[in-house]
Amino acid sequence: MDILVSSLAAGLLIGMVLALVALGLTIIFGVMDIVNFAHGEFLMVGMYTGLLTAQSLRIDPLLTLPFAAIVGFVLGVICYVGFVKFLLRGPMVAQLLGTFGLMLFLRNLALLIFGSEDRALHHGLLVGKSFDIGMGVIIPATKLAAAGLSVAAFWAVWILMNRTKIGKALTATALNSQGARYMGIPTERMNALAWGIGGASVTIAGALIVNFWSVNPFIGLLFTMIAFAIVALGGFGSVPGAFFAGLVVGIITEIPGIWDFFTYTFNIRWMANVPMTSFKYMWVYLAYFIIMVVRPRGLFGWKR
Amino acid sequence: MKSVLRFGAFFVGILAILVLLCPPGGFAAGEVKIGVIYPLTGGAAAAGRELRAGAELAAKIANSVMPDLPMTMARNSGIKSLGGAKIKLIFKDHEGNPTLGADLAKKLILDDKVDGILGCYHSSVTKTVSAVCEQYGVPMINGTSTSPALTKRGFKWFWRTTPHDRWFTKDLFELLKGLTEGKVRGVRAVPKKEIINVASACEKTEWGSHVSRLIASFAKEYGFNLRKSLLYAAKSADLSSEVRSLKASRADVLLFASYTSDAILMVKTLKAQRVRPKIIWGQDAGFEKPEFRSTLGDSIQGILTRTVFLPKVVEIKALAGKVNALYKAKTGNDLGGASARAFTGVQTWVHVLEKVGSTKPADIQGAANSINIPGSELVVPWAGIKFSTSGEELGQNVLGSGLIGQYQKGPDGKMGLEIIYPFDVASADMIFPFPGY
Repeated sequence: MDILVSSLAAGLLIGMVLALVALGLTIIFGVMDIVNFAHGEFLMVGMYTGLLTAQSLRIDPLLTLPFAAIVGFVLGVICYVGFVKFLLRGPMVAQLLGTFGLMLFLRNLALLIFGSEDRALHHGLLVGKSFDIGMGVIIPATKLAAAGLSVAAFWAVWILMNRTKIGKALTATALNSQGARYMGIPTERMNALAWGIGGASVTIAGALIVNFWSVNPFIGLLFTMIAFAIVALGGFGSVPGAFFAGLVVGIITEIPGIWDFFTYTFNIRWMANVPMTSFKYMWVYLAYFIIMVVRPRGLFGWKR
Repeated sequence: MKSVLRFGAFFVGILAILVLLCPPGGFAAGEVKIGVIYPLTGGAAAAGRELRAGAELAAKIANSVMPDLPMTMARNSGIKSLGGAKIKLIFKDHEGNPTLGADLAKKLILDDKVDGILGCYHSSVTKTVSAVCEQYGVPMINGTSTSPALTKRGFKWFWRTTPHDRWFTKDLFELLKGLTEGKVRGVRAVPKKEIINVASACEKTEWGSHVSRLIASFAKEYGFNLRKSLLYAAKSADLSSEVRSLKASRADVLLFASYTSDAILMVKTLKAQRVRPKIIWGQDAGFEKPEFRSTLGDSIQGILTRTVFLPKVVEIKALAGKVNALYKAKTGNDLGGASARAFTGVQTWVHVLEKVGSTKPADIQGAANSINIPGSELVVPWAGIKFSTSGEELGQNVLGSGLIGQYQKGPDGKMGLEIIYPFDVASADMIFPFPGY
């Protein structure tokens, strides 16, 4: 039973972090109907920010979150003002190819600056620590902290979107940009703000993830794909949907653990020979595919 | 005056004819260019740095006279039979990418006009680079790639000095067998049922996949129960599901084939998940690198790794001690499996060139096939270097052998590798079971 509980706990914890990764994507899409292919590269920037800030200032990696948030916010706003704003004037395909180009640019810039080597944090208050919660279930401290902080960041964004005037202005821009402009809402600024918030949330997630994952310039693609799956499952533009879908995708990535539970509980030899861990992300993409076919607007989606 | 001018013109004319007739470099001691292709960046960059330092040290020794070193290549400045031609190593970085490796090999052969190739550490890259060398008829010596398949292709321009994974993996199972028979220094015979369950996690590359299959094959042959055998993506950013899967298998012995970044991540994740098997064994590569030790500190006490060289070898071989001192002065680290084998790779090139006295590929081929370097010349604890010229393993050194070391804290408080296998040269009692992190 410990195998099953461990896997489910691990899935939920990583799911909370993945939800934060997807949050930025869903906000940007919700407000502007633009799919940001460079989303994973924003996360990569967050990971490098967390890593380099912790190493250069000799502070705990968890204390680098404000730096990552500022970098992400500024990066998001710059991308919008200097690039995306112009893409919006073109057709849909220009927007897709434009953010794809942004992805390639950021990736290659990182390659130029940092090289292709994997870099990881090996020291920190919680790095390498874990809690035994009984029944042989071990929870790594870094993942627990990352999950907790992700939920806090998620909650803060939810409050911002639902309980503040800025949030209402963002929602109004998302629902009807022209109408919002007539009502005096500066929609251009709202768009820039959406990119800023989207960038900040994903770079915060990056600074959390670097506590237990290594980073290289190519790491973004994996997270872009996962974020797409989460947003598709939760519904494009839905903040609660992203959270719920993040948890579901987190559990899906732990299918190999659930498989192991059946393998060793019932001692089924052939199951032990199936390389399930090699395909752990395949199930995520399968879920993405199914949800796009069965319910294209996702479980909580409101954008058609 | 006229006759002086006439004599001068005649002299200049003779000189011009001589220059035209003689090949470039015919008057002065030239150089022999060896293209060296290693992973100088990427996941195995740490190993690349070590390999480069080992190769450079060997070239330095070959290019100068060092009477203190009791080895042939230290007696002359350059290759004596080539008029003192110096060894020039041209380094290229393959980043662990087989396609890039093949491109670099072509560049070295066609643009740099190298006389031979050395490399490439990753078996997957060695595979493509050696295919290019075979195509162009350029000799390639490989010192550090251990996939058994490399010498089973019948290549005529490829020679490998290092023992390969079949030998190393067999050594591991001999150690496990020895544990059950009470042959291991400092450990009483362990009932087989206590270590019968094994599990492996190897990276999904040419090398890792081979090791995984060898582990499965030897586990069956030696009567061990392989509970889990998984392959993971090399240079993984996260290995937690793999580690949970290994933990779920309840294996007593965990076996790994990982390069540096993965090896570090694997042990970190094992520690975070509090996985405590009785034995942790790494198939060299990442488990032996200085970064593995410096990053993980005391938590690696008791971890085993196969290797071909340990600092403890200097206690058995005086030559190894002297070369190790030079290497330490250059890099600050002791010689390791990668650097010692890179050193031996260049040394083999020097011996081959010295023997043949020519840089023509066909002559080098003949010399390599008949070379016999005695073990006393080498820093690695092998019986020597002699390549197989017939049978299944064409170009494989038949005189190599492996070691298994265990990380133990010395009296000085520093973590080092002690020889555990072969049993007759063990330098310390084995720590059994694995004490935890």
